[in-house]
Amino acid sequence: MKSIKEHLMFILPLMAMLIGIEFILVFNRITSSYENKLKNEYAILVVSKKTLKTPFVRSIDNRIDTVEPMNREEIAREVTAGMQDAAIAAIMKDLPYFYRIHLTKYFSLKDLKEIRDNLKKVNGILNVEIFGKNYHSKHSMFELVKMLLNIFIVMLFAVSILLVIKQMQVWQLAHKERMQIMEIFGAPMMLRSGILFKVALTDAFIATILNMGLFIYFKNKWAKTSDVDFIKNNPDLLFNISDFFLLFLLAIVIVIISVFYVAFKSREVPEG
Amino acid sequence: MANVISANSLTLAYDKGKTVVINDATFTIEQGEFVFITGPSGSGKSTLLKSMYGQIKPYKGKLSVGGFDMNRIKRNQLLQLRRNMGIVFQDYKLINEWTVEKNVVLPLIITGYSLDVQKVQAEKLLAHVKLSEHAHKYPLELSGGEQQRVGVARALSKNPFLILADEPTGNLDEFSSGVVWDLLENACDQLNATVVVVTHKIPTIFNIPYRHFIIENGGVHEVH
Ligand SMILES: Nc1ncnc2c1ncn2[C@@H]1O[C@H](COP(=O)(O)OP(=O)(O)O)[C@@H](O)[C@H]1O
Ligand SMILES: [Mg+2]
Repeated sequence: MKSIKEHLMFILPLMAMLIGIEFILVFNRITSSYENKLKNEYAILVVSKKTLKTPFVRSIDNRIDTVEPMNREEIAREVTAGMQDAAIAAIMKDLPYFYRIHLTKYFSLKDLKEIRDNLKKVNGILNVEIFGKNYHSKHSMFELVKMLLNIFIVMLFAVSILLVIKQMQVWQLAHKERMQIMEIFGAPMMLRSGILFKVALTDAFIATILNMGLFIYFKNKWAKTSDVDFIKNNPDLLFNISDFFLLFLLAIVIVIISVFYVAFKSREVPEG
Repeated sequence: MANVISANSLTLAYDKGKTVVINDATFTIEQGEFVFITGPSGSGKSTLLKSMYGQIKPYKGKLSVGGFDMNRIKRNQLLQLRRNMGIVFQDYKLINEWTVEKNVVLPLIITGYSLDVQKVQAEKLLAHVKLSEHAHKYPLELSGGEQQRVGVARALSKNPFLILADEPTGNLDEFSSGVVWDLLENACDQLNATVVVVTHKIPTIFNIPYRHFIIENGGVHEVH
């Protein structure tokens, strides 16, 4: 009973930390993939007298990714429905070119405005539409959610670090005497802390597994019934098997630091 | 015969020299000798013993133990030296979460002997200190006298060249004290271990030759 409690007191803060890390991983995956989606859906509309080619437009502003020409005939057809060929030809001659410009990232409104201004400076470009209002509200909402989650993760981390430190002190009390007696009989540091390592590594493994289970559950159960379409359609963002190794590695690092802290605090200080 | 311990103008002090406990002591102890150290309480008996297992470094002068210069000894050398010593404390210093059996073979565990060897040695040692039936108990389930016999068995478990004991019978009744003195006597007589014992009273019945040092006013004097 006592030992289960002792394990839990280390496993729980460790898990909290790992959940924090996993959140960061998941969150980064979701945001970057969502950002990508937003980026792909978005385009600046450019009206130009001359034809534009990607390399040239990129040289104007390196935030620009590709230039996609819009079908001029289609646009013209709508305007010229029922007209005579000669009239159509005349209109086509004067009709400017239309382009959608895709960007390399999901930029802020400020970036968009700079890109617009750079494009407007180009000789022959008649008009640039960035759809700023709509874009801005989406983008700032996105940034807000990102910030809130980051704050949450930082808090989770801070609390779990405090708990781990608390547990270290409990361990130190529990093991100090044994480690000191072993030292008097000549046991090197690694041997003195060996028992702690065993306990702590077991805990690290358990915490990683539990944490993994939690996220796999999210992925398989919660994500499928989620109201958020984006998550429902991309449940793989929620857990990635490579996360396991990263988390376990991290748990081991925390364990090693913790055990050495305890061993260091318990070591013999020469008197005199 | 080789000196196991040799002190030359040894001064031991606490608080960076503010509290001098042993002042300018010179003596040697040879292989196989049995030495009693007595003196009033607070005179520095434990401090002198601590210097012999490296818990305190000489403040001035020289001390060598088992061929190591205790002024210069490195951490891993000190641990190595200790692995070849047996130390007995007044308060036993047993590991209470470990069984008697495991406590007894701590020095073997530290040296890395196999479980089989540990098992055989534990049996032998516990029989030697007459605690065989308590092998699987925990220290706190034993009387003080029994715990100290575990402590002595542990100190003897690796045939140490040097045994240091700080008031080993300080908390024991007459019977248990007698058992402990017998064990230490035997270690010296039959295993040729050097034994240094701090005590406030030399036992009245003691069967082997011994030397007697008295600590008084910081000085270490031999009584002849
Ligand atoms: N860790 C320490 N720090 C400072 N002074 C100490 C320490 N240990 C012992 N002393 C002092 O050194 C003196 C000798 O102590 P000790 O060697 O324990 O005496 P004994 O074992 O003869 O009773 C005492 O005055 C004691 O107060
Ligand atoms: Mg003392």
